[in-house]
Amino acid sequence: MSHTTNPGAATAEGPRQTSIVARLGRRLEIRMLGLAIVLAAILSLLSPYFLTTSNLFNILDQSVVIGIVAVGMTFVILIGGIDLSVGSVAGLAGVILGLALREFPIPVAIFLAVATGAFVGLISGVLIAYFGLAAFVVTLGVMAIGRSLCYILSGQQSISDIPDSIQAIVYTDVLGVPTNVIFLVILYLVAWAYLTRTKGGRTIYAIGSNAEAARAAGLSVLFYSVLPYVVSGALSAVAIIFSVAQILSVDPLAGTSWELDAIAAVVIGGASLFGGRGTIIGTLIGVLIMVMIRNGLNLMNVSPYWQGSAIGGIIILALLVERLISARANRR
Amino acid sequence: MREPKKTEIGEVVLTARGVEKTFDRTRALAGAELELRAGEVHGLLGANGAGKSTLSKVISGHVTRDAGEVTYKGRALNFRSTRDALDAGIAIVMQETTLAPDLTVLENIFLPELGRPGRLSYGALRKRAGELLASLGHEHVLRLDDEVARLSAAQRQLVEIAKALALDADLIIFDEPTASLSPSEVERLFDIMARLRASGRALVFVSHRLEEVFAITDRVTIMREGRTVVASRDTASLSQAELIRHMVGQELGAIYATPAAAPENAKPVVLAVEGLRAPPEVRNVSFQVRKGEILGLGGLVGAGRSEAAEAIFGLRPRAGGTITMEGRVIDPKKPHQAVKAGIGFVAEDRRVQNIVPDLSVKENLLLAHLGAHQGFGLAYQSREKKIGELLDSLGLPAHRLLDDNMLTFSGGMQQKIIIARWLLLDPKVLLLDEPTKGVDIGTRSSIYALLRDIAARGVAVVVISSDFEELLGISERIVVISDGTTIADLPSRLLDVEKLTLLAAPRTSMRQNTELLRSLTAETGGAGFWALIDGDRMICLNVVTAAEAPGPGFAAGEAKAIGDTAIPAALQRRAADFVTEADGSRSTLLVPMKSQRGHDLGWIGLSVPAGAGVPAAEPIRQRIETLNRAAA
Repeated sequence: MSHTTNPGAATAEGPRQTSIVARLGRRLEIRMLGLAIVLAAILSLLSPYFLTTSNLFNILDQSVVIGIVAVGMTFVILIGGIDLSVGSVAGLAGVILGLALREFPIPVAIFLAVATGAFVGLISGVLIAYFGLAAFVVTLGVMAIGRSLCYILSGQQSISDIPDSIQAIVYTDVLGVPTNVIFLVILYLVAWAYLTRTKGGRTIYAIGSNAEAARAAGLSVLFYSVLPYVVSGALSAVAIIFSVAQILSVDPLAGTSWELDAIAAVVIGGASLFGGRGTIIGTLIGVLIMVMIRNGLNLMNVSPYWQGSAIGGIIILALLVERLISARANRR
Repeated sequence: MREPKKTEIGEVVLTARGVEKTFDRTRALAGAELELRAGEVHGLLGANGAGKSTLSKVISGHVTRDAGEVTYKGRALNFRSTRDALDAGIAIVMQETTLAPDLTVLENIFLPELGRPGRLSYGALRKRAGELLASLGHEHVLRLDDEVARLSAAQRQLVEIAKALALDADLIIFDEPTASLSPSEVERLFDIMARLRASGRALVFVSHRLEEVFAITDRVTIMREGRTVVASRDTASLSQAELIRHMVGQELGAIYATPAAAPENAKPVVLAVEGLRAPPEVRNVSFQVRKGEILGLGGLVGAGRSEAAEAIFGLRPRAGGTITMEGRVIDPKKPHQAVKAGIGFVAEDRRVQNIVPDLSVKENLLLAHLGAHQGFGLAYQSREKKIGELLDSLGLPAHRLLDDNMLTFSGGMQQKIIIARWLLLDPKVLLLDEPTKGVDIGTRSSIYALLRDIAARGVAVVVISSDFEELLGISERIVVISDGTTIADLPSRLLDVEKLTLLAAPRTSMRQNTELLRSLTAETGGAGFWALIDGDRMICLNVVTAAEAPGPGFAAGEAKAIGDTAIPAALQRRAADFVTEADGSRSTLLVPMKSQRGHDLGWIGLSVPAGAGVPAAEPIRQRIETLNRAAA
């Protein structure tokens, strides 16, 4: 994270004459998009089924849950934080949803689940931003508490008396596109607009990049340091709702290891874990890369036990290649 | 390992000649010289930025020199690292200590040992640490197993010194060691330094506290603008006034094109600060700044000026005092409240406190707008017109605004953008902390012009600067802060660098001195003062005048020819008894102030009007001498 200062360079220079390719190449998410396309090309060569319409919809469908969680994670990572609790918050919200569906109509149950996620995020956010505790430790603790509450509230059993009508939020089509994919696209558009076009979004970037300067410029550092955790908690709940609607069952273990997938997607998408750097488009590309790898491995009948090694290896390799390329790009 | 060659007391251990060092474009050293002998405390003096610290760092291997030669114990020194310097027996005790806070005292003392191969014997180290502390006379003060994080500043310094001794250092540089110590701690430090001197080590004492220099040093070397101007003079042969004259030099730069405008007291006060406290740095700061005025806050580094500005802006909690904006008391607890009240603040450290590296130049420019903006969106377009005007006046091409990295700009350009960030909001008061830090000389004048322009538009501008020439050149009035307390508020036309340095120097004895003068004047109905006399000129440090009494013809911080004061005869004769002026209007007694070691600390004077009856001189003299002994 070192920046080189070049005093005096500013005065005489004219407009920079650089080719569009070189300019785009400087942006990490563009390079990662290139990686995604290369990956898709390789997978389509290895498996003829990969590029079929039905498999592409499959990939989108599989992207929904982790894609939603990754949006919240992007917010958190942009302020320089981390949220390890997304998986167990999702599990907890899922259990709340399952239990609430026994008593209340679907919209009320959904509201309760999302409110639970947001509330847990609020608690984490306040502990981290107001009391200055380390995000890693706070969300690790919340992760353990959330999972433990999942078991207690569910009575250590899957809740499978979910009303079929909730499937409507996944399996309704609009012009042939399933609603969960439409929701994902809208969510990314809204998140993109928020992060690039609003006071709150730019404040989040400023905090992540230099919190002290943000404070000295009169920005509301505390509020916008808490907000990402609330967003992350709420979106974890939304993600589990889509998942529950698909499988019509809530397991107390639901959401386990989501945090790893979400963090990996955000980092692959070019965000810096130190905060301030990263985009929502990058995150979307990161999610697609993750899902494509998993999808491709399934198509090639790779043993699920080997898939973890393959995914981990590819992620590390991708970042290593990116670091080597960007070191060269930034030297110019 | 180095051979155990011991040096005799008085033998020259180190000579530095013609040392030069340039950082980027700033010339830090341009022909520095230093000669050290075993068994001496050598004072290294100079104003802010004179190059004292750089020279210390060259000798201790923290900085490599560009040119010049340094000989240590007869051999040329060419350190590639601080490790080399440590092995050679040169150690530095820095202002900001370099201890590992989570390790124990023992581990810190022997931290350099960890860099050597082989097994450590804690038992042996413990025994040796005990001996080292005993040699400093502090064996029971420090527990070896305490974590350094829990120690006071003075105790940490003790650990640093022990660490230097553990390396068998024969040359120890103390870089502003007393800055964060209380008077009694300073005394203990001096006691330790005296022991080290007696053991034949060479000590360098870097400071700008004159009283301390006179109290502990044997010889002094004075630096100015990277050059040694006085080399190795006996401290006893110099007076305080001479010392200051050497430190500040005579010539003033001519880079301030327009002289500061005459103060116009008719303009309304915009910001008034009264009794501001934010311990430990800010103890009692008061000042007012008027519409369209540039006020300078002067003082030495660490005097509490930046902290005072931060407390006003809501970046630092306040323990007391009132802040009034245009007659209304405000209480900003967070910066955005101060911004709302119309205050802008350009913090000292651009990289850490001002620039957001991941945002574009335009967004950096609009950052304060973002904080002040109330809506949900960005409303950047509402400022477009103003941005265009500002860019024109700053000489910044509009297309550079879209650059995504501000750090490729020159320091001066960065600073202008940060200043423009606040100008966008039309502040009533703009506080700037070291606005030309890291800005090259050529660009400085354009920043000065910008500040004048801002003031001309009716903004009350407050500039904090350690560069006294700069402060005198741009501000109309200067408030001097020393040790967290405002001690003077004078128009800059009455000041020069010399007087400012004198006023800013922290004086442990100033409080006692004021108390003494107060009681003397209350009893006699006269005017009391503390002044330095240098040939036919005098510099006044402090004045207390009883309610009805006429003043002595000078004010605190003023330097005058003796003939221009109201008491020329007394200042000229400096007799043992009261001296009556030629016109018979008043009589004045002058008593010399001497430090314990007999150094000149100036004169205490008491001037009584003719009608009041002249008091007996002897009891007054005795009281002053008692204070002398207590203070020294």
